[in-house]
Amino acid sequence: MNQFVFEGKQKNVLFGLMALGVVCMLLTWFQDDVYHTRFWTNFLHNSFFFTGIAFISLFLYCGKVLMYSGWHTVFKRVWEASAQFLSVGLILLAVIVGGVYFGYHHLYHWADANSVANDELLQHKSKFLNKGWFLLATLGFGGVWYFWARKMRSISLDQDKHGDSTYSYYKLAKKWGAIFLPIAGFSSAAFIWQLIMSLDAHWYSTLFAWYATVSLLVSLLAFTILLLVYLKSKGYYHQVTIEHLHDLGKYLFAFSIFWTYLWFSQFMLIWYGNVGEETTYFKTRMEEYPINFWANFAMNFILPFFILLRNDTKRKYGSLVFISIIVLLGHWLDFFQMIKPGARHTAHELIEASANHHSSNLESDVKKVLISNTEPTKTIVSEEVKPEEHKAEEVKVGETHATANHAENAHMESANHDGAEAGHEGHHTPEFKVGFNIPGLLDLGTFVGFGAMFVFFLFIQLSKAPLVPINDPYLEESLHHHV
Amino acid sequence: MRSLNKNILFGLYNDETELLGAISKAKKAHLDIFDVYTPFPVHGLDPLLGLEESRLHQAGFVFGLTGTLTAFGFMSWAFVKDWPIIFGGKPHWPAPSFIPVTFELTVLFAAIGMVVSFYTVCGMGPGIKNPTLDDRITDDKFCIAFDTSGLNSNELDEINSFLANTGASEIHTKYI
Amino acid sequence: MGAYVSPVREPLIIGNKTYHQITEDICSPTEKTPTKQFVIGFILAATFLALYVFSVTWTVWVGIGSWNLNRTIGWGWDITNFVWWVGIGHAGTLISAILLLFRQKWRTGVNRAAEAMTIFAVICAGQFPIIHMGRVWMAIFIFPYPNTRGPLWTNFNSPLFWDVFAISTYFTVSLLFWYTGLVPDFATVRDRASGWRRKLYSNLAFGWTGSAKHWQRWESLSLVLAGLSTPLVLSVHTIVSFDFATSVIPGWHTTIFPPYFVAGAIFSGFAMVQTLMLVCRKTMKLEDYITLEHIESMNKVILLTGTIVGVAYLTELFIAWYSGYLYEQFAFYNRVFGPYWWSYFGMMGCNVISPQIFWVKKFRRSIFITFFMSIFINIGMWFERFVIIATTLARDYLPSSWSYYSPTWVEICLFLGSLGLFFTCFLIFARFAPVVAIAEIKSILKTAGDNYIGPNAVHAPHHDTHSVEEDNHSHH
Repeated sequence: MNQFVFEGKQKNVLFGLMALGVVCMLLTWFQDDVYHTRFWTNFLHNSFFFTGIAFISLFLYCGKVLMYSGWHTVFKRVWEASAQFLSVGLILLAVIVGGVYFGYHHLYHWADANSVANDELLQHKSKFLNKGWFLLATLGFGGVWYFWARKMRSISLDQDKHGDSTYSYYKLAKKWGAIFLPIAGFSSAAFIWQLIMSLDAHWYSTLFAWYATVSLLVSLLAFTILLLVYLKSKGYYHQVTIEHLHDLGKYLFAFSIFWTYLWFSQFMLIWYGNVGEETTYFKTRMEEYPINFWANFAMNFILPFFILLRNDTKRKYGSLVFISIIVLLGHWLDFFQMIKPGARHTAHELIEASANHHSSNLESDVKKVLISNTEPTKTIVSEEVKPEEHKAEEVKVGETHATANHAENAHMESANHDGAEAGHEGHHTPEFKVGFNIPGLLDLGTFVGFGAMFVFFLFIQLSKAPLVPINDPYLEESLHHHV
Repeated sequence: MRSLNKNILFGLYNDETELLGAISKAKKAHLDIFDVYTPFPVHGLDPLLGLEESRLHQAGFVFGLTGTLTAFGFMSWAFVKDWPIIFGGKPHWPAPSFIPVTFELTVLFAAIGMVVSFYTVCGMGPGIKNPTLDDRITDDKFCIAFDTSGLNSNELDEINSFLANTGASEIHTKYI
Repeated sequence: MGAYVSPVREPLIIGNKTYHQITEDICSPTEKTPTKQFVIGFILAATFLALYVFSVTWTVWVGIGSWNLNRTIGWGWDITNFVWWVGIGHAGTLISAILLLFRQKWRTGVNRAAEAMTIFAVICAGQFPIIHMGRVWMAIFIFPYPNTRGPLWTNFNSPLFWDVFAISTYFTVSLLFWYTGLVPDFATVRDRASGWRRKLYSNLAFGWTGSAKHWQRWESLSLVLAGLSTPLVLSVHTIVSFDFATSVIPGWHTTIFPPYFVAGAIFSGFAMVQTLMLVCRKTMKLEDYITLEHIESMNKVILLTGTIVGVAYLTELFIAWYSGYLYEQFAFYNRVFGPYWWSYFGMMGCNVISPQIFWVKKFRRSIFITFFMSIFINIGMWFERFVIIATTLARDYLPSSWSYYSPTWVEICLFLGSLGLFFTCFLIFARFAPVVAIAEIKSILKTAGDNYIGPNAVHAPHHDTHSVEEDNHSHH
């Protein structure tokens, strides 16, 4: 069976799951806060997750072409098809950027004019974080990627149709693939900064984009294993043997470790440096979202590491499927904890501001001094600092940065040791809430709905072309692949 | 030079394909192969000879784990129990700071342990000279060796003709 | 590995080789009297080594006051050299370990020499922090042991302490990996030799016989060591980057440092491999084993890592601006337009812009351009480390302590001398050991030799080998 047939039964199941997703989203909408933060964060989270997987499959596909990789050729159509989801991704992203542009939602702190007016740091960043750039760049990058996804696929399909005795299609794919890599390298970084990192608008980390990209890559590998096992169970892809899955298992293992490496590098450097502007990110997550934080680590490192360490677990469907489900969910959770705290904080602040027009806050004042640095003897006195910080209350400008950090460090330390009170940047700890602190059923339902849409679209694309690229010069190698 | 005190009858083949074919036939004829020597690791040889999978990597895991526990345990003990000092405002037990050294020692213990195990179980090491059958085995000859100690002349003939029939380019005997 | 080889793959061993021919070609340089070129090269390297010994002695005798380090610029050429050499020491393990994971067969042509290079580069690197101590005999205090100060341990929080473990582990594991790979090849040289050479190589070969069981264990060991080396190689330059990034100094404290240092290390390491291999293949007549295909592949890795490094440079600049943190912004402004602007432009020019010529296939396959570029990149990567270290330290928080640093003759001679140490070691290696992994080359001959694959193949692509493969499949 070299032709995938998208059966009515599969369609019905997927439609059912998508309907479940819609119901969950509706329910979320009606139980939400005034800004519908949970609904919108879920929308952003899942749109980004699946669009990201589509992007990374294109990236990996191009990388494989350039690496002279042969073993994956037999199932390369799967990645061609998943990359086509970028078209749906574009629509989903259009909803997000449209929302920012026209102000439907309040996900981004920097998109709120009042907040920006009172926040010098956001004003500074507005050259990058502004509605115009957000709209153009997000859709522009997505559009370029989609163009490439179509291009790579059409080269591959032409190769099928016309044969490739002179390897002209193969060479053409290499050319287009090579040009895509640097484009993807630059655009994906900016894409992740503006869509995800800017949710914590004050925070920044140079590693963040690479970290998120690798998270997507691991998700794609887990997803590919699941999909191939499913397709094999339906009688397709008898050519895909346990040897191929073994290799995918190795990739999953290796890139899970690589992900952990990036995770640790980012965490350790921020923990070690103990600079308040940076630690706030992890402090929030460790104290207010501890389940997410540790589950992320356990599902994406501990479990895949110990399960896939042995050779035989990479060669058994049971263990491969089990760990792929864990890892796929784990990286979904990883993005969950990248997205939720920042957006929730923004909403919290908006609600608070509209309630009592309370605008002073320690952080923005410190930033103001740091940025402007014009009034030489300005003293910061904040009423919100905790008792331990009283000695840091009066801060002279010459030492502003260092001492202000001390204030926040002391903050972090005390919170670390007591573990009781948290409250960062002078805010109260938001109460524990399903949908933010941990994913609830509605969030999982939304994930399932989006996932069904992803698979639905992938199946449509898969059914449009033969499953095995018959004229690929690497096909024979792939068919005889032996680890 | 170490001696094995064995009379060896061996055939030299020119190609690994011939070698693999000959071994399959030897299996079918129930000939007891003493050892096979090749100039490079021949793919597919181990399952054919029925060699069990090497357990070196399992040993490596144990060595590595020892390294992990040694490093992390020692640093924790030194900083928490033996001489607690606050460095750079870090807590007494700065776990993230211990990760790099713990990782390095895990790798170091695993690597040294495995390499030492490898040379020990193979009976190799600095200054050790094991007997070899033919100088060309490390160049381009593939060798199947039979231990002829205690075999009668019929059995010897059988091995000789087996070697000749499977394409051995040379047949020799040697006491090692 | 499948025995089928795609027709688009180019042969990696040319010249219609047999197994015996491979042994002959690779062993013979160790068996002949040294050539004139070799003797001249060796004398030159040894001269630089003498210069190194002299300048180390001078530094220890006079003290590091003989260097131009000052109050704010406490790290200068010394640590720049350290990081540069460690970086160069990354390519060997990358080629043997990571490229194994990615099934890049071309690595077999160059892995032996690259691993040797790794070891010698790490030897060079490890010396600089010790020399930097001035009182070199104090170096023992970096190890945690119960000492006369009472049970006061080393600071396990210090990245400099992590470095001690990273570098020594890396050196040890690379050495074990490399030597284990060499043992079968030493046996090959042993079995061709006579007289004192036979004795020497008998000792070096550890009693290798080529038994099937030994090969099996050897492969298992190599595979696990490769698996261990892969995260190890990442960890080493990561920990080197922690030396900078754990501080709160603007320009150093940035989370991208670990992977960006690793990418830079691979980049410079490959450049050094290119430099050495181009010379080796010419002087030792190894053109059939280190083909244009190898050179092109390495140039592609150089282009890739150069571009990754470029993305990292721009990320740093962007985030510095984006952070809104004045000192961070200044640190990067200072890097580009400050008193050391020339080193920043040297770095950008050599590392990011010039490698882009490798987009053109003709340049990737040109020996001259490759050689030229490899030197260029090594200079660029030295600049990168200098930019990170010196320009940052020259402009700290207090404008009253701003200063400028240029090296004394001692520091310059130390650097040039360390090149002498490196090349002396490498030339000794090239003289006594097979510079290409004989056994590994033989094991890929039938899937990568030009008599088996490619347009000039004599046989149809692998009939016999393949049928054996199939047999094995059924045995599983």
